[in-house]
Amino acid sequence: MHYLRLIARNLFLSILLLTVISAGNSLMAQDGKALFQSNCASCHNPIKVVTGPALKGVTDRVPDSKLLHAWIKNNAAVLATGNKYFTDLYNQYNKTSMNLFPNLSDAEIDAILKYVNSYQAPTAENGGGGATATQTESDNSLLYGILTIILAVIMLTLLQVNSNLRKLSDDKEGIPAAEPIPFYRNKSYITLVILLLFVVGGYYLVQGAIGLGRTKNYQPEQPIFYSHKVHAGINQISCLYCHGGAWESKHAAVPSLNVCMNCHAAINEYSGKEKLYREDGEEVDGTQEIQKLYSYTGYDPKSGKYTQPGKPIQWIKIHNLPDHVFFSHAQHIRAGKVQCQTCHGPIQEMNEVKQFAELSMGWCINCHRTTKVDFPDSTGNNGNKFYSIYEKFHKDIKAGDSITVEKIGGTECQKCHY
Amino acid sequence: MKKIFIISLLAVAVTVVISCSDIKRKPGRVYMPDMAYSRAYETYSVTEQDREELEKKGIHYSNIPVPGTIKRGELFPFALAKDKDGDSTNYVASKQIHNPLPALDSVHAVEAERLFLVNCGICHGSKLDGNGPLYKGGEGPFPAKPAQLVGDAKYESMPEGQMFYSITYGKNKMGSYASQLDSRQRWMVIQYIKSKQSAGKASAAGSDSTATAKK
Repeated sequence: MHYLRLIARNLFLSILLLTVISAGNSLMAQDGKALFQSNCASCHNPIKVVTGPALKGVTDRVPDSKLLHAWIKNNAAVLATGNKYFTDLYNQYNKTSMNLFPNLSDAEIDAILKYVNSYQAPTAENGGGGATATQTESDNSLLYGILTIILAVIMLTLLQVNSNLRKLSDDKEGIPAAEPIPFYRNKSYITLVILLLFVVGGYYLVQGAIGLGRTKNYQPEQPIFYSHKVHAGINQISCLYCHGGAWESKHAAVPSLNVCMNCHAAINEYSGKEKLYREDGEEVDGTQEIQKLYSYTGYDPKSGKYTQPGKPIQWIKIHNLPDHVFFSHAQHIRAGKVQCQTCHGPIQEMNEVKQFAELSMGWCINCHRTTKVDFPDSTGNNGNKFYSIYEKFHKDIKAGDSITVEKIGGTECQKCHY
Repeated sequence: MKKIFIISLLAVAVTVVISCSDIKRKPGRVYMPDMAYSRAYETYSVTEQDREELEKKGIHYSNIPVPGTIKRGELFPFALAKDKDGDSTNYVASKQIHNPLPALDSVHAVEAERLFLVNCGICHGSKLDGNGPLYKGGEGPFPAKPAQLVGDAKYESMPEGQMFYSITYGKNKMGSYASQLDSRQRWMVIQYIKSKQSAGKASAAGSDSTATAKK
């Protein structure tokens, strides 16, 4: 009996000790940042107005810490007492009521407040790594051009020297000098020049004629400096988030402004580490560009409401296909499983979009000729099930491994012209 | 005289080469503009002024559909309207609305996951932990922490109808996704979230039981 009591007492003591230690641990482990992020961050930011007010300096605005603690734990009770400051605040934020936090202890609230008040905005590093990379891209063609001109000048001088020397030696030996012919009447000179003109002129004429109507590298200035690099590259937003039409229809679709505002109702400044530059090297203020978006949507970032009527942005269309060509995005990305970058280039690295592909008929046909069809394998799981109909053809043509898009009608005229 | 001529020719050549910028701000010329650029009014090519002129002629192009329009194959419309500021009647009422779709089969489950990753994962995280690339634990550009859909009791116990209300009309700093996801897709995404939540609970329970077993 005595023995049992001893065990019970030891057990009780050890449990007590354990709870004290663990409680002490949890008190010490009070990380204001973690508490803030798990409880408050979905509606509050230390320095930005989100759903609720910015919290930095809240202890100065509400000096009575008892009141502040009471508000954080149960704001409904404080509102019921008719406190003027909090009632005004409640009305100012569209009567959106704050969640109740009865489980937060005073020590935890203090840790959160300490974190919020000591919060510093992450400073943008002026590394400019991207800028130097773009500017160091050297172009050698100018160097080669200058070298060619210098060599040509040297050649002409040497020819002149040569003929002068010959004239001198002829004079010395008493050979009568032939009637000097000026170079512009010299037949071999004239033939050479005509040939050169023909080749060079012909080359540029043909290139120019082929290039008519092709807008490769077209890179217009858009009404807003929208950087695909920042959105799709750095922030990893899926292409289909904005261009969802590419999955559903012929058009990739330019998103309506409410899609921009899904994020930009909250993100009202550009805080990226990398500076933004236009193609000609002019620096762009990202925050200013977001303000332009607000002016189009009629959004007032201060009050978080739409105060003006919105108007659409007239983006400049870059990729243009004539009416006699049918092209469907859905067909290519869903059935063909073509990546966006195959035709649009490294779009996630472009600050300003430019046309990457030629969009000429030859360009289309070449891809259709060489792209192999991804048939389902023997299990029928992998591969592209869209083409399971064609599996029969696959088996019919025993050669098997060289079935191109062309073979299954990819270059039929009516695929594009109808 | 000849020297001056040669030097000036060189100078002209060099300036021509230098001043050729390779930034192409104009699309360039075309053979037949009326063939290259559509004469028909294509999507997005109608400006506000054009639209006004067309409307004078009685042509209504790219207008917002008449209220109450239901597209073919669409589910029956959501009965609740959006709450006014400071009101939460319909938000609360939405708890009673049930998901009209049957349980996800394997094909639809893949599609639902794709829809979630494209539209929601950017904030709520591909693991549904509320830590997508736009938030990155407070490092990203989005100032508010997105909802932690798996592991937060509030969202695990949230009825599907209320989730549907939030996706349709937006909630706090989340915008409305009604223009990006049709109602069927929204219900599918909710089914995906719910399946992940129950999977999360199961794995948590599983790890607990193994932990106790070890003891």
